[in-house]
Amino acid sequence: MLPRLRGARVTDLIGLTLLGLLLIWLAVNFVKGPAAFIDISLIGLTNGTIYGVVALGYTLVYGILQLINFAHGDVFALSGLVASTVIVSVLGLDEGSSALVIIGGLAVTLVVIMVGFSLFNASIERVAYRPLRNAPRLAPLITAVGMSFVVENISLALYGVNYRTVPNLISHSDVIHIGGITYSWSKASVLIIVIPLLVVLSWFVRSTKQGKAMRAVAQDTEASAMMGIDVDHTIAVTFLIAGALAGAAGIVYLMQFNMRFDTGFELGLIAFTAAVLGGIGNLSGAVLGALCIGFIQAFNEGLGWFAPGSDWTRSMVFGILILVLVFRPEGILGEQTPEGA
Amino acid sequence: MSTADGPVLELSEIHTYYGSIHALKGVSLRVGAGEIVTLIGANGAGKSTTLRSINGLNHPREGRIVFQGDDITNTPPHLIVKNGIAQSPEGRRLFPRMSVTENLEMGAFQRTDRENFKGDMDRVFELFPRLFERKAQKAGTMSGGEQQMCAIGRALMARPKLLLLDEPSMGLAPIFVERIFEIVIEINRQGTPVLLVEQNALMALEIANRGYVLETGKVVLEGSAAELKVNDQVRKTYLGEG
Repeated sequence: MLPRLRGARVTDLIGLTLLGLLLIWLAVNFVKGPAAFIDISLIGLTNGTIYGVVALGYTLVYGILQLINFAHGDVFALSGLVASTVIVSVLGLDEGSSALVIIGGLAVTLVVIMVGFSLFNASIERVAYRPLRNAPRLAPLITAVGMSFVVENISLALYGVNYRTVPNLISHSDVIHIGGITYSWSKASVLIIVIPLLVVLSWFVRSTKQGKAMRAVAQDTEASAMMGIDVDHTIAVTFLIAGALAGAAGIVYLMQFNMRFDTGFELGLIAFTAAVLGGIGNLSGAVLGALCIGFIQAFNEGLGWFAPGSDWTRSMVFGILILVLVFRPEGILGEQTPEGA
Repeated sequence: MSTADGPVLELSEIHTYYGSIHALKGVSLRVGAGEIVTLIGANGAGKSTTLRSINGLNHPREGRIVFQGDDITNTPPHLIVKNGIAQSPEGRRLFPRMSVTENLEMGAFQRTDRENFKGDMDRVFELFPRLFERKAQKAGTMSGGEQQMCAIGRALMARPKLLLLDEPSMGLAPIFVERIFEIVIEINRQGTPVLLVEQNALMALEIANRGYVLETGKVVLEGSAAELKVNDQVRKTYLGEG
């Protein structure tokens, strides 16, 4: 009893020391350049939000099937590429279009891509995962790796190896400009699109009958079937939602960065890491984990005082993941599982 | 006993497998309107497999299951619930991170008559006042006895035409066991036939009309509860006498 207690205190102490050093590092950087610090935080917030939308797709599917859907990142990348076609070739939007046309065009793109990719994602489940429902756990995992390559190669076949981009549709003029701090409409558009989606998702999962069925299946699949829940249908709905989120993420990513066929690999890895960091299966955890990674990345690459720089970003992200998992294997928020359940 | 309309549920010679394991080797049984029928037997005799065959989680490879005249042998689980068979599973299997109220709602998942929903929940709370006190609590944080009440209440929310109870007394303090069995009698008196799987054979035979004894996937004995209670073999094996 006592040694255990003391052991726990030692690890806690190490954890708190590391956390303390991190806070001191952030504080010193803040004092040295408050405006730059806030600017960099806003970049972290923007990127973290995008990671969060992708991470939600991983965590939703994992929560219900205990399956790491490796194809999710590639679905995200393909959705962004298709969105670039819709925006540039189909709708023909460019910088010169009027604000109303741009907003309307983006809204149409958002709806088309979200609906299209929710169906695409659900078809992947129907074809590649459902037939393996009662197979050993490794079989669907390998299929997921396979689907990841298939989707990535679809992107490659359709779009080649070049990066795709869209014109700067959303003005880079500032929403806020105080002192040296700037926050552009372009960055704000990420939150403007994502926050309503998160509100709707949270309402759906918390309050609708289908959302409750998703939570029930995630907590006990067999008992859900015994209560009259159609498990296959519920899993299909989960993939529809995850696909819609991938589509939305594809569009907001495209508005900020260039994309090509393999963008989904790197971003999928980051998003999956975010989901694990926050507590896999936990929706708020995925967003929190993604924001953490967004901030880590931005601070590491942007801060002036003793920041390791972008060469170290991946090491930093995964180093912090390892530390968090050593101290809290269930992730920051965990799965909130009561004992015995 | 079973009426002229025929039994509510009838299993004829069902064979159920887990992979290559032949778990049920030709089980036949029936539950008549208004009856409490109990299925007793040792661990691994096939009691839970019989329930899993009825509720659609493990479809039998051979034989037939007929519920209220419909063949449900290969019907998927959610439609079996819709047909009117609800279950309180072994080990309760509540949704641990949902509140008591949400668990009860899940029991009514297949129902479309929202207007009766509130009244049914009140009826469950009337049967189990303890659940009313804990309705906002996460189900996984309750005691075993409270969880069992919630599991039975959840099954009742389906307004079942047949209630399957799998080991409702398992792991409960004697005072809870008695309370649970009183409530099973009460539910039955209100018109719901019950198929009760129990290791506590004494208690089960006390409240049942009829019983079946399972051994290694076969029915080895059947009869009225009164007959089984005085049967030498049953007394020796399941009632701890002899």
